[in-house]
Amino acid sequence: MNILIVGGGISGISAAKVALKGNHNVTILECAAEPGGLMEKIANCRVGFKTFFDEIRHDPKLTVIKGGKIIGVEKRDGMFEVKLESGNSIYADRVIVATGLSPFDPKEIKGKRIITSLEYDALIDQRNEELPAQFGKVAFVLCIGSRSKEYPLCSSVCCSYTIREIKWTLQRAKPEITVFYNDLRFFGQEFYMEKAFRDAGVTFVRANSRYFEEDEKGVSVRYFTGGELKEERFDYVVLSIGLRPNPQLVPLSKLFGFSLNGFGFVKEEAPLRTDVEGVYVSGGALEPMSIKDAILTGFGAGMIAIRNGDFPSEAIRNDERFYREPEPEITTPDGNFSSCLFYLGTEDTGARMFYEFVSAKFIAMARDLKKAGKIVYVLTKNMVTPSYGELVYEDARREGIVFIHLEEGEIVTFDGDQARITGLKREFVLNAGKVIRFDDYAYLFKEKEFLSLYRSEPQLRWSPTKWGRKRYHVGFIRHPRAERWETREILGALGEILLDMEEERVLPEVNEERCSGCGSCKDACPHDAIEMEIREKQIALFGPQVMSNVPIARVKEDACVGCGLCASTCPSDVIHFNSV
Amino acid sequence: MQKIEKNCALQNEKIIELAGYKKEDFSVCLGCKICASVCTVNDLSINTNPQELLSSLFLGNTIEKDNPLVRYCTNCYRCTSACPWKIRIPEVVRALREDLGIESQFEKAFKGAISIWGRVYEPYVFLMSATFMLKEGYMQYMPKWLEYISFHLPHKTKRR
Ligand SMILES: Cc1cc2nc3c(=O)[nH]c(=O)nc-3n(C[C@H](O)[C@H](O)[C@H](O)COP(=O)(O)OP(=O)(O)OC[C@H]3O[C@@H](n4cnc5c(N)ncnc54)[C@H](O)[C@@H]3O)c2cc1C
Ligand code: SF4
Ligand code: SF4
Ligand code: SF4
Ligand code: SF4
Repeated sequence: MNILIVGGGISGISAAKVALKGNHNVTILECAAEPGGLMEKIANCRVGFKTFFDEIRHDPKLTVIKGGKIIGVEKRDGMFEVKLESGNSIYADRVIVATGLSPFDPKEIKGKRIITSLEYDALIDQRNEELPAQFGKVAFVLCIGSRSKEYPLCSSVCCSYTIREIKWTLQRAKPEITVFYNDLRFFGQEFYMEKAFRDAGVTFVRANSRYFEEDEKGVSVRYFTGGELKEERFDYVVLSIGLRPNPQLVPLSKLFGFSLNGFGFVKEEAPLRTDVEGVYVSGGALEPMSIKDAILTGFGAGMIAIRNGDFPSEAIRNDERFYREPEPEITTPDGNFSSCLFYLGTEDTGARMFYEFVSAKFIAMARDLKKAGKIVYVLTKNMVTPSYGELVYEDARREGIVFIHLEEGEIVTFDGDQARITGLKREFVLNAGKVIRFDDYAYLFKEKEFLSLYRSEPQLRWSPTKWGRKRYHVGFIRHPRAERWETREILGALGEILLDMEEERVLPEVNEERCSGCGSCKDACPHDAIEMEIREKQIALFGPQVMSNVPIARVKEDACVGCGLCASTCPSDVIHFNSV
Repeated sequence: MQKIEKNCALQNEKIIELAGYKKEDFSVCLGCKICASVCTVNDLSINTNPQELLSSLFLGNTIEKDNPLVRYCTNCYRCTSACPWKIRIPEVVRALREDLGIESQFEKAFKGAISIWGRVYEPYVFLMSATFMLKEGYMQYMPKWLEYISFHLPHKTKRR
């Protein structure tokens, strides 16, 4: 098949890898001068992209078109003719849209020293031998261009990349760092990084600001915390800009005929599929996501594009390599109370990795109780509702659940049904008939740290779901996003499995003549890769020749990982690895 | 030290109605305190946090006459302009003032001016200054003014 991938960012390259491995012809159409996308602009990520791309760059089945622009698309007999501005046409059976994200441009607040995180990444890039002379104090301001009336989604990655930028900054210099945030939407290990940086003296302030006064020597920032207005000078203010849908999706959707959702991302008809037959989607074209998820969905889209029909089937979904942690049970309490108070905060760093899960559960419970006519308070230290999850949080606020945002250093103490909030300048008491705290559920997460690790651990980035050769994580940990992520993850994992085969897989061969059909190999195979096929076979060697139906072992190429257990089990020694 | 104990939730809902909005137009507040970082009253070195005012409303607390915003809010809309949700705090403040039966210094002066000049004053000033503004290139600020004026028009909301 011919597969066309629109967009040569990390997601498009990931899709290309899988399709090439499946032995298909791949064309990557990139509108910029070089593939790379946003990763090309991020300090130290460039190298990772290059290494990743280099693995397929010289594949004879790959064509990369740079600086290409689509001006027309025609679909005939299930084949797309994609006409380019250059006058050439590309013929493709399947198309993957991987056009990525568009970083928000805060032109109204930007300045010389008030810079975006993209500009800051360029500033601290390892290519620059020297950092700016004046680099003693840096402020990071989160949520720029996200979570607003104009664009209500959370960009999901800006908190994470900010902690990464802090890490890289501290590796090169020791400026004083302050982070102005609304919520800290970290995942997995990033919570440990946060703790380490706090211990190392990075200041976190739970208040945002839009007062930036810049002059020759620096920037004054005003912010309100601890009951008073503060003004502080910084050498640089870094705006952690959000990720918006790529405006190019509008013309592309018209050309190919697929729909966009109300925010401007591609409408996902079924996981990684658009509503046009033969057109698939991956990466930032779907929703704001990290590099790791862009790779995951790229693998997945590559996988689905090279398959036919209803893929992944029920049998594949239930493959035992897909590991799903049972979701801890948290149910809405009922009882005779008229008001309920949630405390979304914990001091336990390990438990913090489950903020996304608990935030979603608390919001769902709070909304249930509110609908049942109760007064509901939610005291938050942090609220982790990334991407489309932010809309649920918005609804909860609109519905009149009272959210109280606790500042750094504010303490909540409980005395029965009473919560006392003690801050620097405020102290107040809330009474509620029922109190529900994060820590009430902390026991559910004991010894479950591994669940979150794989979402943030850098060395696992290139294989986003893989825990081991026989274990790929899907589901629960992304709750409540699991619903839309689980199939994406299964598809991505299938792509990973396909790519894995590259290095080590050699298929065993069955000597059909001699196979007695005993089925020992089938029992031995941990991957259910052996099927006993009923074949017609001549069974008598002496005497009359009789044809009969007998079982014979057959190796299922898709499932076999080449472990060799069958060969070592076979009592008649008919399974071999001939090519070794 | 601020202590909050009283409960007058119902009355507070009335205030929101008085401001001419629905409760959710205010309860959608993110708690980011961007409004406080730009509020004009803070230029006078009075520690003021408009977000706290909203929060008090929703907690059902009484807001007293001596609340700094009730006293000094200039209706400058800086908070609204910077707010991610474009929450119109000065309108709540106006409703509160009405409820509490007070007028700010600013409003007193403004009304005073109108009682002397009448509303005719505004277009008159504009007409008189039009040639001057054109000549001196002030028209380049027009988009900014329009943007400012657009606050007072109904908003388009992008929804799902
Ligand atoms: C400042 C910043 C820092 C970040 N830091 C991190 C981080 O530390 N960790 C992390 O995980 N994520 C980070 N991200 C997010 C990361 O950049 C994205 O997750 C990732 O780049 C998405 O990959 P993608 O391939 O989907 O899209 P992109 O990287 O945006 O690539 C899309 C490609 O498609 C091309 N294209 C677009 N339109 C067309 C068209 N019409 N025709 C042809 N080609 C087209 C573009 O030129 C581009 O090459 C950061 C983002 C920003 C803005
Ligand atoms: S990830 Fe969400 S919460 Fe964090 S800075 Fe981005 S938009 Fe804000
Ligand atoms: S090599 Fe391993 S996976 Fe393949 S058929 Fe034999 S036992 Fe099964
Ligand atoms: S309108 Fe009132 S509350 Fe808003 S910034 Fe101006 S003075 Fe402050
Ligand atoms: S700026 Fe707007 S959203 Fe933020 S705290 Fe103030 S009123 Fe709420």
